[in-house]
Amino acid sequence: MSSTVAAGGRAATRGLRLIVTVLAVTVGIGLLPLLAGRDPALAVLRARAAEREPDDAALESVRSELGLDDGPVRFLLEWLAGLARGDPGTSWVSGQPIAPQLVAALGVSLTLAAAAVAVAAMLAAAFATRPLLRGVTGDHGAARSTVPAALAAVPEFLLASILVVAVAVPLAALPTAGWDGPVHAVLPAIALGVPTGAILGTITVDSVRAVFGEPWVRTWRAAGITPARLAPAVLRRALAVVCGQLGLIFAGLLGGAVAVEVVFAVPGIGRLAADAALAQDLPVVQACLLVLLAIGVITGTLGERAQRVLLGPALDTAALTAAQPLPRGRLRGGLAASGLVAALGAAVVIALTTDPDTVNLAARLEPPSMAHPFGTDALGRDLLARLGHGALHTVGVAVAVTAATLAIGLAVGLLNPRRGGGLVDVVNAVPPVMAGLVVAAVAGPGTFSAALAVGCVVWAPLARHAQLLVAEHLAAPHLDGARAVGAGKTWLLTRHVLPAVLPPLLRHSLVRLPAIALALASLGFLGLGAQPPAPEWGRLLGEALPYADRAPWAVALPVLALAVLGAAALALGNRLR
Amino acid sequence: MTRSRSRSRTSPLAVAALLVTLQATACFGAPSGGDGIDAGDGGQLSVGLAFPPAQGLSPYGDDAVLLSRLGVVEPVAHLDGAGEPVPALAEDWERVADRTWRFTLRDGVTFHDSTPLTAEHAANSLLRASEASPIPRALKGIELSVSVVDDLILEVSTGEPDPILPRRLSSPNLAILAPSAYRGERVDPVGAGTGPFVIDEFDGVERATLVAHEEHWRGRPALDGIEARFVPDGATRAAGVRAGELDVADALPVAQAQALGEAELVEVQLPRVVSLYPNTADGPMADAGLRAAVRQAVDAEELTSSIFEGTADPAAGLFGDASPWAADRELPERTRPGSADGEELTLATYSDRAELPELATAIGDRLRREGFEVSQVVREYSELEVDLLDGAFDLVIGSRSYLLDTGDPVSYLASDFTCAGSYNLSRVCDSDVDAEVAEAATREAVDERQDAALRVERAILGDDLIVPIAHERARIGVADGVTGIAEDPHERLLVTGETTLE
Repeated sequence: MSSTVAAGGRAATRGLRLIVTVLAVTVGIGLLPLLAGRDPALAVLRARAAEREPDDAALESVRSELGLDDGPVRFLLEWLAGLARGDPGTSWVSGQPIAPQLVAALGVSLTLAAAAVAVAAMLAAAFATRPLLRGVTGDHGAARSTVPAALAAVPEFLLASILVVAVAVPLAALPTAGWDGPVHAVLPAIALGVPTGAILGTITVDSVRAVFGEPWVRTWRAAGITPARLAPAVLRRALAVVCGQLGLIFAGLLGGAVAVEVVFAVPGIGRLAADAALAQDLPVVQACLLVLLAIGVITGTLGERAQRVLLGPALDTAALTAAQPLPRGRLRGGLAASGLVAALGAAVVIALTTDPDTVNLAARLEPPSMAHPFGTDALGRDLLARLGHGALHTVGVAVAVTAATLAIGLAVGLLNPRRGGGLVDVVNAVPPVMAGLVVAAVAGPGTFSAALAVGCVVWAPLARHAQLLVAEHLAAPHLDGARAVGAGKTWLLTRHVLPAVLPPLLRHSLVRLPAIALALASLGFLGLGAQPPAPEWGRLLGEALPYADRAPWAVALPVLALAVLGAAALALGNRLR
Repeated sequence: MTRSRSRSRTSPLAVAALLVTLQATACFGAPSGGDGIDAGDGGQLSVGLAFPPAQGLSPYGDDAVLLSRLGVVEPVAHLDGAGEPVPALAEDWERVADRTWRFTLRDGVTFHDSTPLTAEHAANSLLRASEASPIPRALKGIELSVSVVDDLILEVSTGEPDPILPRRLSSPNLAILAPSAYRGERVDPVGAGTGPFVIDEFDGVERATLVAHEEHWRGRPALDGIEARFVPDGATRAAGVRAGELDVADALPVAQAQALGEAELVEVQLPRVVSLYPNTADGPMADAGLRAAVRQAVDAEELTSSIFEGTADPAAGLFGDASPWAADRELPERTRPGSADGEELTLATYSDRAELPELATAIGDRLRREGFEVSQVVREYSELEVDLLDGAFDLVIGSRSYLLDTGDPVSYLASDFTCAGSYNLSRVCDSDVDAEVAEAATREAVDERQDAALRVERAILGDDLIVPIAHERARIGVADGVTGIAEDPHERLLVTGETTLE
C-alpha cells in the first residue's frame, strides 16, 4: 500500500517536473530573442506589409498596439494568466485568436506525421525482413545492405520536389499541393517517411542482429522451437528499440516537417511555428512550442512505456543475457561503396586544382563535358570543383557534430539509463528553425552557431537509444557476477556496458551523418553556417534545386556525394564490433 | 493461444479504420466549393497565389492587395498602365480648393451584403483607414479629413495641398467597405466589398472560395467563381499549372517560368528595380571613386539575360519601361572609377527570392576580379532587415517598387534617398538631394513632379548613390483557355469581371 502511494507520489513529482520543463523551455525559447534585444515591432510590421517603410511612427504604433513598451515580464505574466484560463491569446501579426488556427494546424500535422511514420515503419520493416528471416534459420551471415544508409542521405525536401514534378504532374490522381482529403497526404508522407524509414531501418536491422546473438535464441533453437515461433519472439525484443525511436520520430515530424509542408502547401504546425518565429509573433511561437513539447513528452512517454512492455519483466529481473558476438556481417554493396569513396576521393583531389567560385554566366547549367566533368551550376561554376572544395568543410563539421551528439547521447544513457523522458523528449520536439533562431540571437551568425543549433536537437534520439541499450546491459546476469565480486558502478559502466553499447550507437549516429551535413546548410537562411559562396554540399544542393528538371546532374552530384558518405560511414560502422 | 492472437489481430485493424475515418473527417479542410455557386457556365477559376493572408484579411496590410487582386474590394480610383488615376467606385473627381478634392461616386454600386454604396460609407472607410495601426503608407503624414456633401458626393481634405490625392486613394488599403465590415474590433471585409467576387469560404491558410457578385456595377462577372489556393513554393505553383490543377499561377520563379507546358507565361513590366545599394555613409563605399568602380563592374545586360533569363530588363536608371514618362531622358555623366586596391567589402542580400543570392554571387565574383576583397551575407529578409537599416554592410542588393501605394515617385525618393528617409539603404544624406526632393514634393502638376523626380534621379545616379541592375517583370502562368487576366503593373488587379475560362 505504502509503496503504491510512494509510486504515485513519484509519478506526480515526475509529472510536475515535466510540466515545469516544458513551460521553462517554451518561455525560454520564446523570450530569448526579446531578451537578446530584438524589437519584434519591425518583424511584425514586415509580416503584415512586406514593403511598408519602417518609419518611427509606424513602429511606435505597432509597439503600443501590442503593448511592447510594457516589457517582457508583463507579457510573460499576461501569457501565463491567459494560459491558466486555457486561452493562448491572440496573434501579434494577424490579431486573431490563436486557438482555432493552432487546432487546425495540429490536426493537419498529426495526420501527416502519422502517415509519415507509417511509411517509415513499412520501409524499416522491409529492410528488416531479410535479416530476420535469414536469422531465424540460423544464418547470421546475412549481408548488411548499404541501401538504407544511402537512402538516409536523400533529403526530404529533394524527395518532395521530385515527387511533385515526377509523380504529381503526370498522375492526375495525386495532387501537386494542398490539403483537402487523404489523397493529399500521400506524397508528403512518402517524402517525410522515406529518409526517416531508412534511419529507422538501420536501427531495426542492428537491433534484430543483436537479438540473434543472445543465448536464449540458441537455447530455443536447441529445444526445437520452430523458426515460425522464434521470429515473433526475436521481433518483440528488437521492437523495443524501435518503439522508443518511433515516439521521437513522430514528435519530431510535427514541428520539423517545414520544408515538405512548404513544397506541398500543407498548412501544418511546422509552417505555422516557423512563420511565427520569423515574424517574431511571440504568442503564436509560444503556443506552438507548448503544444509541440507537450505532445513530444506524451509520445516519448508512450514510446518508453511500449519499450518496457515489450521487454517485459526481463529488464527488472536481470534475465537479459548479454549477446554473444555474431560473426561480422558482410556488407552488401560494400565493395561498390569503397569504390565510390575512392572515386569521390580522387574527384576531390582533382577538383582542388580548379577554382570553385569562378562565375561564368555564359556557361550556365551546362551538362557534363570534358571541360566540366560534372557540369556547371546556375552561375556557370564548375560543379566538380565546388564539390571538392566543399568536401573538407562539409564532412569535417558534420563529423564533429556527429561525434559531439554521440558523446552527449552516450553520457545521458550511461548516467541516467532508467529515467528516459523529460529533457530528451522536450529537446527532440523543438522545431529546428526555432533552435536556429535562438542560437542566432544568442551566439550570432557563423559556422559554430550552426553546429550548435543542429547539435542541440540531434542528440535526443541517440540519448534515447543509449538509455535503452544501457538499461538492457545493466540487467544482464553476468553483471550480477561482477557486482558480487565488488565491481563499482563506474567500473561496470566503463568496462562492461560502454564497450557493448558503443557499436550500435555509433552505427546509429553514423547513419545520421549525411542528414546532419544537410541540416547544417539548411539553417543558412538564418545567417548560420558558412556564408555563400562557400561550397558546402548542402548549399550546392539548395542552389541546384530550382533547376532540378533542367540540370538534374547538378542535384544528383551532391546527393550522390552525401549518399556515398552515408554508405561509407555505415561500412566503417560495420567494421566496429 | 493461436486463436486468441488471431482474434486480437482484428482489433488494431478496426482501430486503424476508425482512426482513418476520424482523420478524414476531422483533419482535412472543409470540402471545397461553397454552397453559393449556382450552376452558371462561366466556370470556376483556380488561382495559385504565393502568400496566404497574413493578417486575417485586414484591409490595412498586404492582405488588401490580395483582396484587390481577387476582385473582392475596390477603391475609389484605379491606376492605369501609365500610372494615371482612372475611375473605379468614383466616376469623377475635381480639386475644389487648395487642400480639398471632391469625389462623385458611381450610382448603383452595391456591396456584397446588398447595401447600396453611399458617400457616407466611403467617408467612413477612409477615416477608419486613417486611424489604422500603423497608418497605411498612402495616408502617411497628410492629415486626412472627409466631409459628406450628399448621397454620392464627398470632399476629402488634407493638411497641406496634395496634388496626388486621387492616386493615394487608389491604394488597396483604402478600398471602400460596407458598414458591416466595421462591427467588431477588427475590420472584416468578408461580405463587405464591392468587387466582382464575394468571399464564400476561407480556411485561413490553404484556400479560399469566391463566388461571382451578381450585382456588380460592371454587370455580372464572366466567371462563376474563383478557387484561390495559397501555394508558397514557386516550383509547386508551376507544377500545378502543368498538372492542370491551377488555371493561373502568380509570381513564378525565373527557373520555372519557361517550363509551363501548354500554359502561357504572361510577363508584365513592373515599376520595380533591383539595385545595388552602397553604404555611402561609412566604409569604402563612402568614396565616390570606389562606388564608380563597383558600378562599372556590374553588367546589367549580362545579369538580366543570364540570371533573370531575359524575364527582366536591364536597368540604366531608377525608372524603367513601366514608366513611359521616364523614357528618352538623358542620364548623367558618371564619376571616374577609382582603384579597388584590395578594399574589403561586405555584400548582403536576402534569400526570399532565388535570383538575389545568385546576383550577389555573380557580382561578388566580378568585384573580386576587379581587386576587391568581398565577403557575402545571405539571410531571410526578416533576419536581415535590422542590419540593413543599421548600415551594417557595404553593399546591399535589394528589390524595391518605386511607385508603391501612391503611384508617385517623389514619396519613394523621399523615403529612400533623403537624410530623414525611413528606408534609406544607401544611407544617403546630401543637402542637394534633400533640396531637390523637397522641391519635387511641392510640384502640383503630375508631369512636373515626374520631371522633378528625373532631376533627383540624375543627382543620385551621377554620384552612384545607387546602382540599378534590373527592372523586374511580373511572371504569371496562365493556362490555355483563360483570357482576361489583368496585366497590371501596379500588381493590384489579377482576376477581374472580364476574366473568362473556356
